[in-house]
Amino acid sequence: MSRFIATSAIRGATSAVEQADTMLQDALKELGPDTPIRFTDTVGGGTVYYLPTIYGLLGSKVETLGDLVPVMEHAKSLVPPVPRENLWLPYLGETLDAGAATLYAFETIEGVRFAKGEQPEKKNGFEFNGPINDAQMRSWGIQMVDGRMPGFAALVGAAKSNEVAVKIVRELQSRGQLIFLCSTSNGRSIVDQLQEEGVDMGYDTFIVPFGSDTISAIYALGFATRAALSFGNIEPGDFRKILLYNKFRCFAFVLALGPVDDLKYAAAAGAINYGFPVFADTVIPNILPTGVTRFEHVVSMPFDDIEGKDDLEKAERLVQRCVELRGIKIKIAKVPIPVAYGPAFEGEVVRRADLAVEFGGKGGMCFEWLRMKDLDEIEDGKIEVIGPDMDSFEEGSKHPLAILVDVAGRKMQKDFEPVLERQIHHMTNGAEGISHQGQRDITWIRMHKNAIAKGFTLRHLGDILHACMHNDFGAIVDKVQVTLYSDPAKVEELIEEARAVYKERNARMAGLTDEAVDTYYSCTLCQSFAPNHVCVINPERVGLCGAYSWLDCRASFEINPNGPNQPVPKGKVIDETLGEWEGVNNFVYEHSNKNIERFTVYSLMDAPMTTCGCCECVMAIIPEANGVMIVSRDDYGMTPSGMTFTTLMATVGGGLQTPGMMGHGKIYITSKKFIPVEGGIKRIVWLSQNLKEELAEELKEACEREGVPDLIDKMADGSTVTTVDELLPFLEEKGHPALTMDPIM
Amino acid sequence: MPDVEIPLEKWTGKVKEVKIGGGGRKEVVVGGESTLPFLAFESSNPNPPKIAIEVHDKEPTTWAAPLLSAWGDAVKDPGTWAKKAVEFGADLICLKLLSAHPEGGNTGPAEAKASVEKVLSAVDLPLIILGPGVAEKDNEVITAASDAAKGQRVALGNCEEKNYRTIGAVCLSDGHIAIAKTPLDINLCKQLNIMLSDMGVPADSIIMDPDTGALGYGIEYGYSINERVRLAALGGDAMTAFPILNHAGGEVWRQKEARASDGVPDAWGDLEERSIIWEAVTATSVINAGCDIVVMCHPKAIERIKSTIEKLTGK
Repeated sequence: MSRFIATSAIRGATSAVEQADTMLQDALKELGPDTPIRFTDTVGGGTVYYLPTIYGLLGSKVETLGDLVPVMEHAKSLVPPVPRENLWLPYLGETLDAGAATLYAFETIEGVRFAKGEQPEKKNGFEFNGPINDAQMRSWGIQMVDGRMPGFAALVGAAKSNEVAVKIVRELQSRGQLIFLCSTSNGRSIVDQLQEEGVDMGYDTFIVPFGSDTISAIYALGFATRAALSFGNIEPGDFRKILLYNKFRCFAFVLALGPVDDLKYAAAAGAINYGFPVFADTVIPNILPTGVTRFEHVVSMPFDDIEGKDDLEKAERLVQRCVELRGIKIKIAKVPIPVAYGPAFEGEVVRRADLAVEFGGKGGMCFEWLRMKDLDEIEDGKIEVIGPDMDSFEEGSKHPLAILVDVAGRKMQKDFEPVLERQIHHMTNGAEGISHQGQRDITWIRMHKNAIAKGFTLRHLGDILHACMHNDFGAIVDKVQVTLYSDPAKVEELIEEARAVYKERNARMAGLTDEAVDTYYSCTLCQSFAPNHVCVINPERVGLCGAYSWLDCRASFEINPNGPNQPVPKGKVIDETLGEWEGVNNFVYEHSNKNIERFTVYSLMDAPMTTCGCCECVMAIIPEANGVMIVSRDDYGMTPSGMTFTTLMATVGGGLQTPGMMGHGKIYITSKKFIPVEGGIKRIVWLSQNLKEELAEELKEACEREGVPDLIDKMADGSTVTTVDELLPFLEEKGHPALTMDPIM
Repeated sequence: MPDVEIPLEKWTGKVKEVKIGGGGRKEVVVGGESTLPFLAFESSNPNPPKIAIEVHDKEPTTWAAPLLSAWGDAVKDPGTWAKKAVEFGADLICLKLLSAHPEGGNTGPAEAKASVEKVLSAVDLPLIILGPGVAEKDNEVITAASDAAKGQRVALGNCEEKNYRTIGAVCLSDGHIAIAKTPLDINLCKQLNIMLSDMGVPADSIIMDPDTGALGYGIEYGYSINERVRLAALGGDAMTAFPILNHAGGEVWRQKEARASDGVPDAWGDLEERSIIWEAVTATSVINAGCDIVVMCHPKAIERIKSTIEKLTGK
């Protein structure tokens, strides 16, 4: 805590409380304790929440001047002494108490003014709004709760110039932020500035001028208090819940324009109690650690030091920064591109005759690379194209392209890079006339003549990614910047860098072992049709649909904490070899509707994973061959088990635990943790032909790793063997290792 | 006959009780079950299923003949309709603001408010108020309806994944009950309940509509989802322990079996009797699977289901 701020705030609070007390005593003498107080706005709309801040935080119903006496006694007791010159303390508690006392003092002063008929304020013919009425509070409150309106910005003082004032207000409006105005600096107020520029103020324009002094800032907190009482299901007097409600649900902040005096510091301390951070466009001490507010408490952004070619750009950046610091998320309603966008276009094929231009594919070079950056390293929404664009491409031609997506976010993690990067495929495919295949450096993008005719250019790929990353991954992404390189030299240079990163990621994935983590993830996405099925996903086994890896699940949990991917703490080891843990057993028991009591990660024969309906492959033991066979979903032929894939699925699917049979993802076959209890890959005696082809490289590697480099040739497949009778002679002829292994049953 | 000990299931969970109405209006309490439906020997389920009768804010133009003849001119005005629903034995009124549908009149908040006020002043039964089922319009008209019914604790819906926040917010603000609707999926159902709870909607202010199909059109899904949700609740899962609402009437009366008299096999029999049976069987199925409020349309089907409930509860 800054000693300077603490001292100023406490001094400000002391004088506010003194002023309030004096005003109250005078009014009591003059008007008597029974004089009624009722908050109303300039059109006469009132509130049923008495003096709302006092009512919410203290539970006291103030209806008359006399009711304010105990409130002031309480406020006085809260004000701490001003810190002595040579004594340094953390001060935070004292400052927050001073802030609370200031709020009671401010509301008392406004209460006395109402009793005297001096509120809402009128000044030089201008009618200030005074406190917001309940009907308006409800209407805005609903929008704040359902997310249409993030919160409010309380602007205190006056901006550098009239045009800056207007720019700040317009920028805030464009983000759906409510705007409250009060106070002056150097005798000027932002209310004057907007008035001079002819800006309409009032409920209709979402700009509410409270009053000409700092004291009227209390109406902002009265609004926040009522929102919490009304929408938070909170009892008056439960101050802790009210403050927490606002901290987490109302994305409000204070922006002090111009010099900050003691009274403003005191009011700021009051706002911080609500979790509302305070930003200033002048030099004041920063309070960067987080705690009472979600992120930084006080941030100084001296206006003239902000980057920007002129004051308007500086104003835009100032608002952008405030929004970021408060953690306000951006939603983009419509992807801003000249062609239609939606899931209906995902499967489109762009044929040769319709091809306008393509990137990558056979003999081409196209790659995509998503990088995590620091928040201040990138600019949200910045999209750059470096190199030639559509207008210089010949029809049907092929060009190199690099898509670099830089994202930053407070909850972003390096490990989420590949998870987000893989979404580029799905996102770009949604555009009409754009087809995307592959990933990383085997990306292949084809664009239809019609899309180009409608005005689609390279930058629109950036627009798509910017919008979709925010909309789909707003929980972890705060800023997205996209750079598209079509300059061949640049692409060639960058692809090397990207490949080095892909390699690094592969190594990281390889190093990500079951032993290296203490938490697995669940997937219950399929419970709608397999009610008792739970996938437990460990780093070395993907979900049985092949679509969810352990990292995907972790990211999915960050994005949607109530979603289908939940952390499963391993807990106490029951059997290391079998891969049985207490935590996993408990989780599976609870989430399988208490049907599955035991669950092992490493065995096919002893309590294996259940199977839903969407596994990529099914494995089944062939007792005669002392091994297992694996058939893939794409294989329609007969297998040595005497069943096709479909028949096997009918046996194993639907959430059943069937020792000796199990659904799994394709890539699991090459995992180091492929049924280790039964002896791993050496047990495979038969494998669908298409799997052999598709996984050729990975299988080769896995077989070499297990010390059986020629194993693939010893595995039968559908092209030669479809019955057990054919299988045994085949295995004997090839000398398959399974025949001499321990009995599988 | 030898003494047979009847095995009793011991459940740890209990469904929350939700009170609809009040503020001068009759009160109806639903939920509170501590065992499966109608197993009086096992545990007491204090509140038998209730019947809500469907009332629309505009005259139905595509209703089946048996419904139109049963209701007559009452359907021309929501207030008159609601009064007649009371005569037909409704425990609650389910007011559907269908005129707000963009393709069905596209009326706004003012009309919604007027319809709600009409029904509120016509009858003293508790109310369920539903929008036209288009998220944006639902938000608009339910916000107005909520305001009009402030203090009378109505149930508002539907909160769906897309728009639960707005309706949740007005329920919080005006002290109403949120109806959480999900499409036949226990996980989505639970997830929506969690999200509403996270918003601060209290546990005694949530009713779930896990969806159902009519007899012959997926009743088995409706039955099974109700049963699974209820088993989870009784098993101790607080996030599924809310009362269940099903639209038996609305589902049945869309189907051919409740509408067609020409060009169907003779064996189908008389349209009126057939359609009434169709609705009664659908409603019987869902209440046997745990439904607490069944929304219905035909007076005769309602009569039959009420008698069924009486027999099953021994009252």
